[in-house]
Amino acid sequence: MVPEMALAHGVDDKTRVFLENNTGVQFIPFLYIGAKHMVTGYDHLLFLLGVIFFLYRPKDILLYVSMFTIGHSLTLLFGVIADVGVNAYIIDAIIGLSVVYKGFDNLGGFKRLLGHSPNPKIAVLIFGLFHGFGLATKIQEFSLPQDGLFTNLIAFNIGVELGQFTALAFILLIISYWRRHKSFLKFSTTTNTLLMSAGFMLMGYQLVGFAVS
Amino acid sequence: MQENMTTQPLMKATIFSALLASVALLIIILPAEYNIDPTGVGRKLGLTVFSEPASVPVSADNASTGERETILITVPANKGIEYKFIMNQYAKLEYEWLTDGTALYHDLHGEPEGDTTGYYESFTIATASEMKGSFTTPFAGSHGWYFKNETDAPVQVQLIVKGDYSSHALKQ
Repeated sequence: MVPEMALAHGVDDKTRVFLENNTGVQFIPFLYIGAKHMVTGYDHLLFLLGVIFFLYRPKDILLYVSMFTIGHSLTLLFGVIADVGVNAYIIDAIIGLSVVYKGFDNLGGFKRLLGHSPNPKIAVLIFGLFHGFGLATKIQEFSLPQDGLFTNLIAFNIGVELGQFTALAFILLIISYWRRHKSFLKFSTTTNTLLMSAGFMLMGYQLVGFAVS
Repeated sequence: MQENMTTQPLMKATIFSALLASVALLIIILPAEYNIDPTGVGRKLGLTVFSEPASVPVSADNASTGERETILITVPANKGIEYKFIMNQYAKLEYEWLTDGTALYHDLHGEPEGDTTGYYESFTIATASEMKGSFTTPFAGSHGWYFKNETDAPVQVQLIVKGDYSSHALKQ
């Protein structure tokens, strides 16, 4: 049995060649795969956009992003090391749900419905845990050899944080520029409605994928 | 968080976002990603093209004639290639292949027709310089070899086949 061949099949050719030819500790390549996954992972980015949308103080942004980071780092490491196989479609649908949740929360939806907004820091932490399982399933698709697994995993995780940091810097740059204009508040309802809609799309996309797979 | 939203605009925003998502899913995302096209709009927009099974051109030149056929394949240095036969379910292929003596990593496998998940089933995985055998396809689709050349020089594979296939080609 050569399981890595079976799983590497869905991976693009370059990554396949890399996985076939490399074993052991590969710090920088895994750092890169992690960063690339976060920068190109629109589902994670949409959630982050929702989280920082109404955060004005750098201290708050740091706090919330840290909660998210702690959440997804825990499950990313745990998921791969304990080899927890979570269905990727279900996890990605929950990530879609996290985007809907945050958009609805930003619109003041929970406050209106429940009389209070569920602790937003805890919510970010919990959804962070799900995002981490999502990252874990992505890295499990690479079916990593045990040799150097832990170091490669740490490299992947650091890559995820670097990618998140880079993406966040761009989002913050644009959003803080936008905040100085009247249109920010005028369009914040529209933006969060569209955010919810994007979340619904992700959910539908993944749930149908689960149904047909 | 917005504090000034009353229930009605909140409901409106939520329903609108779900409706927009449903429309986008029905006419764009599902046709493009899964070839599920309940409205038919996806096909009209040309979006189902991504999910249609990769078609290998079928011509009289490479359809099975029932005779033994010899195919020469070059595996470039340090590269892997796939050579595939389009076959129906329960079709049989007898094969024999050999190199100049250089061992190649190879994976004989089949991919179901129309599958987009990347699923495939391996029949034989080994590293060798020649092999002889036959297989019967468990499902319709493309069946054949992944050859990987781990040397610094190109290796030629002489592949001799006899069986039921509609076409064969190097997978691009």
